[in-house]
Amino acid sequence: MLMLCNTCAQPDTCKSREKSMPVVVVVGHVDHGKSTLLGRLLADTGHLRQDKIDHIQKVCDSKGLGLEPAFFLDALEEEQAQGISIDTTSVNVDFHGHRMSLIDAPGHIDFLKNMASGASNAEYGLLVIDIQEGIRAQTRRHLQVLSILGINDVVVVVNKMDLVKYDQEAFDSLASQARELIVNENVNCVAVVPICAFSGENLVERSTNMSWYTGQPLLNLLGDLCSRTSAIDEQNAAPVRMVLQDVYKFDEHRYLAVRVVSGKIEPGTEVFFSPSGKMSTVASVKSFPTGALLEASRGASVGLELSEQLFVERGEVISLPDQLPEVDTRLSARIVWLYDAPFDPNSTYLVKLGSKQTNCRLELSQPSAGDQGAVSSALIKGDFADVIIRCAAPIAFDKTLRKSALNQLVICSQYETVAAGVIDNRRRQSAKCITIDKNIHAETGYVERTQKEARQEHRAAVIWLTGLSGSGKSCLARALEHRLYRDGCNVAVLDADNMRLGLCADLGFTPEQRAENVRRLACVAKLMLDNGFICIVAAISPYERDRELANAIVGSDDFSEVFVFCPLELCQQRDPKGLYKRVALGQIEMFTGFDLPYQPPQKPALRVDSSLLTVDQEVDQIIDILLGKGVIPSNQTT
Amino acid sequence: MTKHLNDLENQSVYIIREAYSATRSMAVLWSMGKDSTVLMHLVRKAFMGHFPIPLLHIDTSYKIPEMIAWRDALVRKNNLRLIVGQNHQSLADGMGPEKGRLICCSALKTQALIDIVKQHGLQALLLGIRKDEEGSRGKERVVSPRSTDEGWQYKNQPAEMWGYYNLHVPSDVHLRIHPILHWTELDVWEYIARENLEVMPLYFANNGKRYRSLGCATCTNTIRSRAHTVNEIIDELKVIPTSERAGRAQDLEHAYAMQHLRTTGYM
Repeated sequence: MLMLCNTCAQPDTCKSREKSMPVVVVVGHVDHGKSTLLGRLLADTGHLRQDKIDHIQKVCDSKGLGLEPAFFLDALEEEQAQGISIDTTSVNVDFHGHRMSLIDAPGHIDFLKNMASGASNAEYGLLVIDIQEGIRAQTRRHLQVLSILGINDVVVVVNKMDLVKYDQEAFDSLASQARELIVNENVNCVAVVPICAFSGENLVERSTNMSWYTGQPLLNLLGDLCSRTSAIDEQNAAPVRMVLQDVYKFDEHRYLAVRVVSGKIEPGTEVFFSPSGKMSTVASVKSFPTGALLEASRGASVGLELSEQLFVERGEVISLPDQLPEVDTRLSARIVWLYDAPFDPNSTYLVKLGSKQTNCRLELSQPSAGDQGAVSSALIKGDFADVIIRCAAPIAFDKTLRKSALNQLVICSQYETVAAGVIDNRRRQSAKCITIDKNIHAETGYVERTQKEARQEHRAAVIWLTGLSGSGKSCLARALEHRLYRDGCNVAVLDADNMRLGLCADLGFTPEQRAENVRRLACVAKLMLDNGFICIVAAISPYERDRELANAIVGSDDFSEVFVFCPLELCQQRDPKGLYKRVALGQIEMFTGFDLPYQPPQKPALRVDSSLLTVDQEVDQIIDILLGKGVIPSNQTT
Repeated sequence: MTKHLNDLENQSVYIIREAYSATRSMAVLWSMGKDSTVLMHLVRKAFMGHFPIPLLHIDTSYKIPEMIAWRDALVRKNNLRLIVGQNHQSLADGMGPEKGRLICCSALKTQALIDIVKQHGLQALLLGIRKDEEGSRGKERVVSPRSTDEGWQYKNQPAEMWGYYNLHVPSDVHLRIHPILHWTELDVWEYIARENLEVMPLYFANNGKRYRSLGCATCTNTIRSRAHTVNEIIDELKVIPTSERAGRAQDLEHAYAMQHLRTTGYM
């Protein structure tokens, strides 16, 4: 029964295993025949062993079915009971020099995350369309997913041709619709093949029922397409990109555990680390049990030893100093939402890119497009959207469309992947591109923060005062500064108004500019923190997501958010800077509390009501917080 | 050195390193079979020749005796840390395959595994299962979360995109990590040949019979074979008309036996 490829039965002469295995994902709408196609392909290429066929035959008999080719892939009880694929699987075909791994992807929208999981491993797509049903919702959506995943070549099969009596006209009409659809997704349509998967027509052998079809049978087409893979293998001209997974210390050797994403690395190469901006030289490239290697190229998982010891951690991208990746805290990306729960604009997510992961917030940069291009500002499973990802820490990435580049990312909620996406290369990544110069190294200094804290007998901290204009932030900041100074603390105040006179003079008051203002405040506060100060920030900081970013930049252990509450009417009455009057006269726009909202903190460390408390009472309450956190010792303050 | 085997090896090493970067509380589930032998070698590769995590063996007490002897010899020779899990209570109560094969598997393998994972507070296990072994394994993720209450959520597995694995889970969930999930039986043997790995002698023909898949003595059958070397096994696999686990009795109990076993925590 088993008819493996003649050439492959002779290992001495078979060359196919000296190449990488190309991977094709089979996609399309539910019930258009993807699993059936694969099951039949396995059977017709002799990849099914007799006991397995007997087993499936027995299952089919018990269900009163004829031999169902899909059951060779849909192995789960629920899949066979309902005749549907729930999850993705893969099979290998090795037949007369055509060698490939084929991934079966479920077609039902409920299982889109499973489809995407399978497809993310593929280089090529095979789109199955039912001749009677034509192009349906998942036909379209799967193509869009392939496009996001960077799959550029798709073969289309028009299935169930027997149901239209092998009618050429019906085929031609659907084939041209399919071609148009594919071109619109910027994907290359390699060929369109009329097939009948169940009876195996035009899969491995030509069908005698469709003599009007002059092209090759499917397997030959896929085989030819996949043989292009070897050409891609030779591409070593791509820039060097390695992701740092971990650092190991064994027997006095410190190894950087890296994966080569593209390019080639050899001992003696000078390398640059992003985003940290450090530099060193590769002393050796090692693997076990071989030992020292002459080089490592694309795909290799190796250990690097550096000639100069650096403190670097997981999350760095290693490149050559003259081929740096981009580094930014703000990414533009196109994503597909995969999760059952919809996107929540108020949630903090996690972004993963390369080996880096960091907290982030997402903003839809334009409304999402769902089925039939319906536009909305929500984002639910199966929707595509252009987003801005605001990261708590800088990430290194590539903008290029090249395959196997550092441009693919996922968004995670606490424990699960919720979206997958690709860096949008059409957009400028940032209004002000934050690129770390290659000559800038992060200096940590010889005096540690802990040493400074020990000498000054108090810990460093950031106290972030947020509230409406006129709520009493600046006043409280000064009073708190005075108290802490009196008690011998090293203390500093960052008042947003003062910052806007200098460091932030270029910023206005749009939500985006306010976000940048808060980011800069947080970065300065973080520097002060690292130098041992208790840093008091007074800023309206009206948006929850901006304050969360500040929290992430500073580090939540050192960050205390204080909500300075005061009713808007009282703020207007106080109007210490005369701003509310000018708003009333129409001289100021984008003023928080009027044409822009203030989002009160959900869980501040402290809420003080300045309409009820004296400033001294407010200071006392903050001092209590600092005592509770052990920032200041209990004998220091009175 | 074939490119295909290099690709598989690099991918597996990447997976092992990803897992280790997320948790140091991890063990290799070791059955002494060919797959876990390859897995052990890949762990050494990942850690530059070192073996910083323990081995975990679930001893049903019904294993083929040569397997235990080989296990102990290898542990001694390589100075490895071995944890042995066994369901003593169930054995004392007389558990064995005659009580029903699947009942026995659940008690002596699944329960013993769950208990030892809990006892040692392990957050992750590296397992040498492969997609091409049987249908339910074909549907696995590289990183598969298992909660103690709910087992394998095969109808709602998390998205696993590119090489971004979901390695952070609540504390009551442990991870099954499958670094050689995409390898085939033939890949495993070709890799054993290329890397010249030492394998259990039971895999080689003795009096015209050999084991193709190893398990408990009571529930594992030999196949007819004349393969005395790794290369002869490779040649045999290219023409053999039966599938790998045809000699594993628990698979044949009913159509979805392995799926049911694995849902509750079987490897």
